[in-house]
Amino acid sequence: MKIETKKSWLTAIVLLCLSALTIGYLATVFLAQRQEEPIYPGPGVTEIKMLSDWYPGLKDTAGDTEVYVLKGAKEGDSMLVLGGTHANEPSGLVAAVLLIENAVVEEGTLYVIPRANNSAMTCTDPQEGAPTRFTISTPNGDRWFRFGSRATNPVHQWPDPEIYVHATSGQRLSGSETRNLNRAYPGRTDGNFTEKIAYGVAELIRQEDVAIEMDLHEASPEYPTINAMVAHEDAMLLANSAIINMALEGVSIGIEPSPTNLHGLTHRELGDFTDTYALLMETSNPSQGRLRGRTDSEMVVTGKDKFYVKAAEYGRLYVPYDEAGHPISMRVARHICGVTQVAAAFNELGLGNLVMTNIPSYAEMEGDIGPYLAPPAA
Amino acid sequence: MEIELIVFLVMLGVFLLGNFLFKLPVSLSMAAGAVAGALVAGEGIPLRHLFEGTFVYMDTILIISTAMVFMTVIQESGALEALNAVIVSKFYKVPAVLLVLLMFIIMFPGMITGSSTAAVLSAGAIVAPILLQMGIPAPQTGAILAIGAIMGMAAPPVNIPAMLIGGGVDMPYIGFEGPLAFLTIPGAIFTVLFIGLRYCKNLDYEKIKGGLDLEIGKKYGIKLYIPIVVIVVLMVACRMLPNLIPNLGMPLIFMIGSAVGLFTGKRFNAVKAIREAMKTTVPVLGKLMGVGMFIQIMTLTGVRGYIVINCFGFGLVVLYAAICIVMPAFGAVSSYGAASVLGVPFLLALLDTGDQVVIAAALSFICSLGDLMPPTALAGNYAAQIVGEKYSKVLRYCVIPFIVCVLFGLFTLLKSRSLGFLT
Repeated sequence: MKIETKKSWLTAIVLLCLSALTIGYLATVFLAQRQEEPIYPGPGVTEIKMLSDWYPGLKDTAGDTEVYVLKGAKEGDSMLVLGGTHANEPSGLVAAVLLIENAVVEEGTLYVIPRANNSAMTCTDPQEGAPTRFTISTPNGDRWFRFGSRATNPVHQWPDPEIYVHATSGQRLSGSETRNLNRAYPGRTDGNFTEKIAYGVAELIRQEDVAIEMDLHEASPEYPTINAMVAHEDAMLLANSAIINMALEGVSIGIEPSPTNLHGLTHRELGDFTDTYALLMETSNPSQGRLRGRTDSEMVVTGKDKFYVKAAEYGRLYVPYDEAGHPISMRVARHICGVTQVAAAFNELGLGNLVMTNIPSYAEMEGDIGPYLAPPAA
Repeated sequence: MEIELIVFLVMLGVFLLGNFLFKLPVSLSMAAGAVAGALVAGEGIPLRHLFEGTFVYMDTILIISTAMVFMTVIQESGALEALNAVIVSKFYKVPAVLLVLLMFIIMFPGMITGSSTAAVLSAGAIVAPILLQMGIPAPQTGAILAIGAIMGMAAPPVNIPAMLIGGGVDMPYIGFEGPLAFLTIPGAIFTVLFIGLRYCKNLDYEKIKGGLDLEIGKKYGIKLYIPIVVIVVLMVACRMLPNLIPNLGMPLIFMIGSAVGLFTGKRFNAVKAIREAMKTTVPVLGKLMGVGMFIQIMTLTGVRGYIVINCFGFGLVVLYAAICIVMPAFGAVSSYGAASVLGVPFLLALLDTGDQVVIAAALSFICSLGDLMPPTALAGNYAAQIVGEKYSKVLRYCVIPFIVCVLFGLFTLLKSRSLGFLT
């Protein structure tokens, strides 16, 4: 049996009109992802700047992004927290927002970039079936956040070469990594769009003499570097002290030295090319994993997935996993705990002074971060 | 029965019904399967996902389209015929050497670009007439082109599935040259000799000569080959001197080569020739888009995870079986997709069994063979188109080399510890 179609101008016109309508509708859906999730600056925010203030080459581009400055009354050292380097690893973004809305700095300065790759927030990855948004309940209503792409939106940087050659090391990676911010450091002014964003971050660190940089990530549960703090060799002592502090708060976390032969990442290049203590944290996020089942916003928030339960039974994961999943509250709490304990260790080791208050503890946040997010505006 | 299995069966069922019973094109059948799967999974008709899934092939579609234009131009200008005549007249006395040499020519663009499509559509188009002149039937010639292009894609220095697998576990692309050469060179030599040698053991040059156009090369001279030289030089230069020469991208390189080819040989109606070339390639482009929709819905509904997790459930023996069967089969969707979705977890599962670089190289080699899998079968499809055969006929002659290569890949996986010296 063959379906016969009559080829006529009328058929062609009808199909073209249908296509145009579909594309028009989808264009609005695509552009809707450019709407930024609201962030409500808390009592500690003293200034909101843009990354282009440190590297003007980013001005008026999709790579320019907000930098929240929380400056203490007393002089001291500074820390930079990066959320949203990979926009499909949402606990980094939410942890950064939670810091902005709660933290108060007494000594020193905290810089927070919630959407480090702002462009990556504006799209999702083809063939990943990802949601575009997820919501977190707070006592005063739902807060929504975007779920984006691992890499810069191709609308802003395209096409990818077949091979991505990292500029300073000559390391070769697959072409799709060209748009990965965490393979673009230390960045360069005459490089591609993503390398320019990386350069902007490195410039902020250099110009403000940022003592500590923390890049907040997530990884799938089958990935070996997980529930870990990755440290540049210069930052190993600091990281070691911090994870002991975290353990005392009830957070089990490993420490990984930054590989010297893997280039473009914050913990390698910002450590090599600036004077900062470069650190990166990973939590476990099933919604970006390869073994996951149905992909939706609920999975992003609850971190529950039946296939990962099976994978844990098969012994294929690098983290414990059961029906309780890895909820976003727990993942964000781990990141926040990491930030506070790194600052504490920095002070304890006599490396400098950075005193932050009003940040909830791991125990307070682990079950529910909702109460620590500002109420959504009416 | 788990819902993911039901969704998968519905997707496959609707695809097969559409394609075989209603004789719809593969592209539309895949799209129908994707829509049906989404409906059964309770997702309605997720327009965004259906549309987004197609975008993963955007770059591939541009490469294919521009490569088809280039192939048409060098055919119409007479460059292919001239090159054909030169190679056969120089090497007809040593057919085995000639075959191996031709195989390396097929592989070359794949080695540089990491794309079997680029290989089959550029060097494949050049070599095909020579193989046909040597007496190798069209389906067998197509099989040589398809496997040669895949060996080129998997061969060093550029193997994108290996990069994707390595990238998934933060393994730098270092030390892969030896293992990849170990895997691909024997595979290529075996394939071309196994399929081709029986037809050209005793080449009768006088007989072949009649089919060669020995005049066109004399008429236009060396300038006839300029488009091919331009393509090779640009491909190599962009790769070797990335800090000096901006990356032009394969589509632009093919377009530059095509533009040059319009002025270096026989005059022809370029618009008409290119229109004909595009007509033949549109169904394959549609097929890619249908596949893109299909896999996006598989991921959305959890079918992809269902397949992956079930590969892990039955111990090491079944894991190796899954590597040999499921990974190339996933190539029906995309060999790069197979590397990313399956290659990474398989590598993680095998990390303790031997040398990690050798394991990743072997997995990438097996992934690459997925470019032979229907319905996409990129390498097979274009090889068939070049030799003017049905791709099912071409694929038939790929079966034995395919099995031998998969088994060789498996051997490499099993012996990875002993083969660590290759890295």
